[in-house]
Amino acid sequence: MSTIENREAGQSPAGRDVEDERAERTLVAARAHRSRESRLRTRDLVLSIAAPIVLVLLWEVCARLLIIDPRFFPPPTKIVMALGEMALDGELWQHTGPTLLRLLVGGGLGAISGIVVGLLMGSSRALNAAFGPLFSALYPLPKIAIFPILLMIFGPTELPKIIAVFITTFFVMQIATVSGVWAIDRQLLEAGTAYGATGFARFRFVVLPGAMPFVFSGLKTATGTAVVVVTAVEFTGASTTGLGYLIWNSWQLFIPEKLYVGLLVIGIIGAVLTTLLSRSEKLLLPWRRNT
Amino acid sequence: MHAADQATVVAEDVSKVFFSGGDPVWALENFSLSLEPGSFTCIVGPSGCGKSTFLRILGGLEERTVGEVTMTGAEHAVPAAFVFQEHGVFPWMTVLDNVAFGLRMTGTSRRGREATARDWLARVRLTDFADAYPHQLSGGMRQRVAIARAFATGSPVLLMDEPLGALDAQTRMLMQEELITLWEQERKTVLMVTHDIDESIILSDRVIVMSGRPGTVREDITIPFERPRSFDIERSPEFGELRSRIWNLLRDDVRTAEETA
Repeated sequence: MSTIENREAGQSPAGRDVEDERAERTLVAARAHRSRESRLRTRDLVLSIAAPIVLVLLWEVCARLLIIDPRFFPPPTKIVMALGEMALDGELWQHTGPTLLRLLVGGGLGAISGIVVGLLMGSSRALNAAFGPLFSALYPLPKIAIFPILLMIFGPTELPKIIAVFITTFFVMQIATVSGVWAIDRQLLEAGTAYGATGFARFRFVVLPGAMPFVFSGLKTATGTAVVVVTAVEFTGASTTGLGYLIWNSWQLFIPEKLYVGLLVIGIIGAVLTTLLSRSEKLLLPWRRNT
Repeated sequence: MHAADQATVVAEDVSKVFFSGGDPVWALENFSLSLEPGSFTCIVGPSGCGKSTFLRILGGLEERTVGEVTMTGAEHAVPAAFVFQEHGVFPWMTVLDNVAFGLRMTGTSRRGREATARDWLARVRLTDFADAYPHQLSGGMRQRVAIARAFATGSPVLLMDEPLGALDAQTRMLMQEELITLWEQERKTVLMVTHDIDESIILSDRVIVMSGRPGTVREDITIPFERPRSFDIERSPEFGELRSRIWNLLRDDVRTAEETA
């Protein structure tokens, strides 16, 4: 209350009391407002956690009471039990391993080469003139459609599956990176020039960091697309492993619990990869606004 | 002051022509200007008169079509340090790294460049923000970073393209005072482009008034006020006379530029 006392130093004691009381009332109102705001935030948090739980419970009850057909929608507890059994007898890992391998090797190499090619094309007018239109024409081609060609060339091995993921990731990353380089504020490129950043220094200190925000949003898009492609590739008869195969095979053998396990695990893989990317973006780009 | 710390900038008959559709546009026509070592010069002129183009040609950011530019400080690693209007500091570098950037490019050791950068941060009162990123600063603070970066290179020539143009009026006045103080301590050769007539009078030894496109020198005015200067000169009658003289030179061209834009 020291500020109030200072402000009211020249007034009569009675006047100061009135002022104090008024300030006190204002503070009480402000505190009430703040606690109402924090109560609402807690409520939102509880709702966001409770809603999915309630829905899953509802699913469980409806499936058990045969309100929905448990052959198509087996109760969640059965799915979890199937997951536990498959984890114990190794069937789960037998499928998760190959899918992860295809995603990480194909996607990783695709992302690296897409970023490198994107940076080169973004920095070199000649390279972009030569390959820009070509890559733009190839981009909308559904990459999954060339999978039979890959099978023809490489046979039913790991290679065509990894290449399919590689090509998908490559194109997304190449386009995202070129856009990232072009989106760099012209004044920043000029500031680089004005302060003597040429050649590799310009690349290292201006172009690369400037393109990074687009690179990261590209990586998130590419992850989603790569998960779709790896699942689709594993659906085809060319594979007897992988979560896509597990889902497809469970539908053919009509084991819905296992089908849902495959769905669940591939969903978790996608979510984990996306979370890891967001985390590393925050770590690597501390200069980004609102992140 | 050693002669090597200073530089004379001479531009002779510089012209810049670009094409808009099929028609040639003369941004600058036979523009000549020489800057005394250690002088502060402002260029004022209507929009599109080529004042920024000229500055950018001096800074090596744009090619001239014809003409000669000589800088006697050209042997310095950064012959002319540029200050941009805004968005000129790298958002991905900390304030310290931004200020040290020019020195880093010239190959100064980490210890050396960081010492210089810290010294300059202290002089623009940003010591506590050395590790902050530009987006955490106010607009005025970011321009102080940009100005510190230019001074920190040790370059004998500073080129400023409306460095205070994006700031609010009060921040701008504070920054003008700071710029006067910094410059009076350093006495670099400065060429600054501005839209603000008062700013040009307060800061500089000489004001170049340019005509509308194609840009030529309409008048070369010497500002007589003594240094060190303060805002007190604004109250003097000479200040008012200079301001109305410059405005009279500009008014018609500004109107034309406004109506044809």
